[in-house]
Amino acid sequence: MSSQALQSPGFPPADASVADAPVADAMPRSFARQAFADTFGNWRARAGAMWIVVLAFLAVFAPFIASSHPYLAKVNGVWFSPLLEHLMPVDVVLVLVAVGALVLLPMRRLTWGQKAGLLLWGLALALPLVSWRVIYYRGWAPGKESVGPGFAYALLGLAALVDAVVLAWVPIRLRLSGKAKIVLVAVAAALTALLIRYPVDPPQTIVYERYRTLQQEGKVEWMLPAPVPFSPSDRLRDQPELRLTEPWWSAAANSPAREHRHWLGTEVNGADVLSRMIHASRIALAIGFISTGIAVVIGVVIGGIMGYFVGKVDILGMRLVEIFEAIPTLFLLITFVAFFGRNLYMMMAIIGLVSWTGHARFIRAEFLRLRNQDFVQAAIAGGLPLRSVLFRHMLPNGITPVLVAASFGVASAILAEATLSFLGLGLVDEPSWGQMLEQARTLGKFTWWIALFPGLAIFLTVFAYNLVGESFRDAIDPRIRKE
Amino acid sequence: MLSYILRRLLLVVPTLLGITLLVFFVMALSPGGTAADLMRGEAGMRPEERKARQEYLQKRYGLDKPLPAQYLRWLNSVSPVGMKESGTGFPSGWRIGLKTPDLGESFALHRPVGGLILERLPITLLLNLASLPLAYAIAIYTGIKAARHRGELVDVVSGTVLLALWSIPVIWAGVLLQGYLTNAEYLRWFPTTGLHDLQADAMTFLPSWGPRGFERGWLLDTLWHLVLPVACLSYGSIAFLSKISRGAILDTISSDYVRTARAKGVSERVVLYVHVFRNSLLPLITVLAHLLPALLAGSVVVETIFGLPGMGRLVVEAVNNRDRELVLSTTLVAGVLGLLSYLLADIGYAIADPRVSYE
Repeated sequence: MSSQALQSPGFPPADASVADAPVADAMPRSFARQAFADTFGNWRARAGAMWIVVLAFLAVFAPFIASSHPYLAKVNGVWFSPLLEHLMPVDVVLVLVAVGALVLLPMRRLTWGQKAGLLLWGLALALPLVSWRVIYYRGWAPGKESVGPGFAYALLGLAALVDAVVLAWVPIRLRLSGKAKIVLVAVAAALTALLIRYPVDPPQTIVYERYRTLQQEGKVEWMLPAPVPFSPSDRLRDQPELRLTEPWWSAAANSPAREHRHWLGTEVNGADVLSRMIHASRIALAIGFISTGIAVVIGVVIGGIMGYFVGKVDILGMRLVEIFEAIPTLFLLITFVAFFGRNLYMMMAIIGLVSWTGHARFIRAEFLRLRNQDFVQAAIAGGLPLRSVLFRHMLPNGITPVLVAASFGVASAILAEATLSFLGLGLVDEPSWGQMLEQARTLGKFTWWIALFPGLAIFLTVFAYNLVGESFRDAIDPRIRKE
Repeated sequence: MLSYILRRLLLVVPTLLGITLLVFFVMALSPGGTAADLMRGEAGMRPEERKARQEYLQKRYGLDKPLPAQYLRWLNSVSPVGMKESGTGFPSGWRIGLKTPDLGESFALHRPVGGLILERLPITLLLNLASLPLAYAIAIYTGIKAARHRGELVDVVSGTVLLALWSIPVIWAGVLLQGYLTNAEYLRWFPTTGLHDLQADAMTFLPSWGPRGFERGWLLDTLWHLVLPVACLSYGSIAFLSKISRGAILDTISSDYVRTARAKGVSERVVLYVHVFRNSLLPLITVLAHLLPALLAGSVVVETIFGLPGMGRLVVEAVNNRDRELVLSTTLVAGVLGLLSYLLADIGYAIADPRVSYE
């Protein structure tokens, strides 16, 4: 693959008369394609990407991999699936989106925009179907405990509005063919019917030790457990002697830890370390992507305005950038966390809010370069609205450095969350790698399995993003490509 | 040059004001606003006590005034230049002059914040100043090595290793180093926490031979305590700076004057360390500005792990105690330090690069 990528710029362009032919490898590739090929042309970036894919898989299927609830069980002659019954709305949505993405990705007839649009539409359809029971019967709202019900319900209302707009607007915008429309309607109807017939309604009180007790009493006739048969919040209330035990393979021969397959040991409260780590990958990825997304949006808007308008706006904007850069990020984060709540959504917003300056600098530099180029002048002369000039004409030509910065940004966002949790300022109940490391610090004695494995997960993830980011940067760097 | 430095100094003023504005409004716009954390202590009070306290707080922070007015009075009390008599409500007269900045009082520790920070800041600065030269020295050496062998196996491997080193989270490295190197179960090479031994006060300053054989003395004891924290704080910057210096040296090593120097028969050593190195200093100076705030942030973690009573640990304690004044002031001080490092880097750049004119 790498040799091909190296050769292709030198290839003669393909015969121009064959206009209808699909884009073949022989054609000179677009900049994006070339950059993509160059980025993943070396094994380091590929290894990094592989780890991220593994992590994404773990994050999406976490409740299927690590759960106290067995896939299938037969008790007193009755078959049932505790795992499916206990799925939370977010689990179902994640799985649906992942399956949708896997189905849509190889479809060659659809453009990337159409694929993204269809996925978005599916998400908008699935979200209310999956979550309405929890919202309606239990009064759930995002971050209700920490920001107050008023704000949480306002947020929920806003989300509903956005959802409705997406549902109505995306199908019009996509311009699908007739056949695709029929398929889409059929799939949507099937999904709706399925989710109405089998509503997502997890029980409110969860008794994790139920299956172990049943098994001990010999009432279980048949059971198919999950690969890691412990939920992240299963604190082994029935086995208090198993708190803070080593991994079974390193424990002494006569210790109780030998009999229970805790692959990476248990933590202070008795929860399985491996299970918590698998579920924590969800939070790490979510924080990484969403807070970087927020940072990129803020950075692009502010940096774009600075670079386009120059002059006074630029000077003011640069002071703003300087203010945010002068205060060490961690101090700023700590201050925000100290005065605002400590929930997941707030954390994402805060990390995004303090890390946009790099993106703004990059976009500003690019826009300063682009604003005098002919195509931008033509767009302005053509009377296009500012929004169009900035985001349709200039942004696509200046976004690449920001994409590089974003892949490093994901790494530092994950690191920021881990550090906050490590200092005891992060999430309280949800599993997070940093929070597990905190246990290793505050315990008073050194428990190597709690120190080693969660930290390793943070390191590998950060390293993977940095590898991809560096390779990507080298791929689009004209100084390096020239040589 | 002087006028450039003066103009650069003037540009600091709006940024400084911006930092205070940001810090103040983060607090003021949080749920419950300024008062929420202050009223926490009132749960068990009798009505008259509560009333007295509320009156005191209202006077101290001007809570009955609108937010901009609250901000202005807070700014007045923390700045070294301002209206005097700022302790009691709004000042009556317009007597403007120099005064001692009043950062407020810590609610948990019942001590003036300014004094607390002055007590803790030197330890943080010591950590940072110890790790910076170390990081620069190692990074320049490895950078030169990597640049000389560019494209060879050494370069590729060291590039990946450095990136890995850079990706190791300090929280992990710290916990592992502490766990494995200060632990009787594994290796007990270094002390677990703290800056001095418990008996440090009784030690002589320099190492000496006493009645009980070798005594390490106060200085060596402190250095011994500093090894792991400084290592934790500097390995990330070593990796980062090595990458920067490799790139900078690669940029200069292919220039004409280097070829000329080689053609003249100047020894490779002199070429590298005099001709090339001096001309690749600029990027290393520029990143200093970004490095210092990062090191300050890193010292929060390092101080927490190794139990060093520095400013980083102070801020974590302050957040855990919901100690409003202390959090605000430490962030403010950190911001000012960050700003100073930017200033330093800009001035250093102006001195190091005679080509750039700043008129």
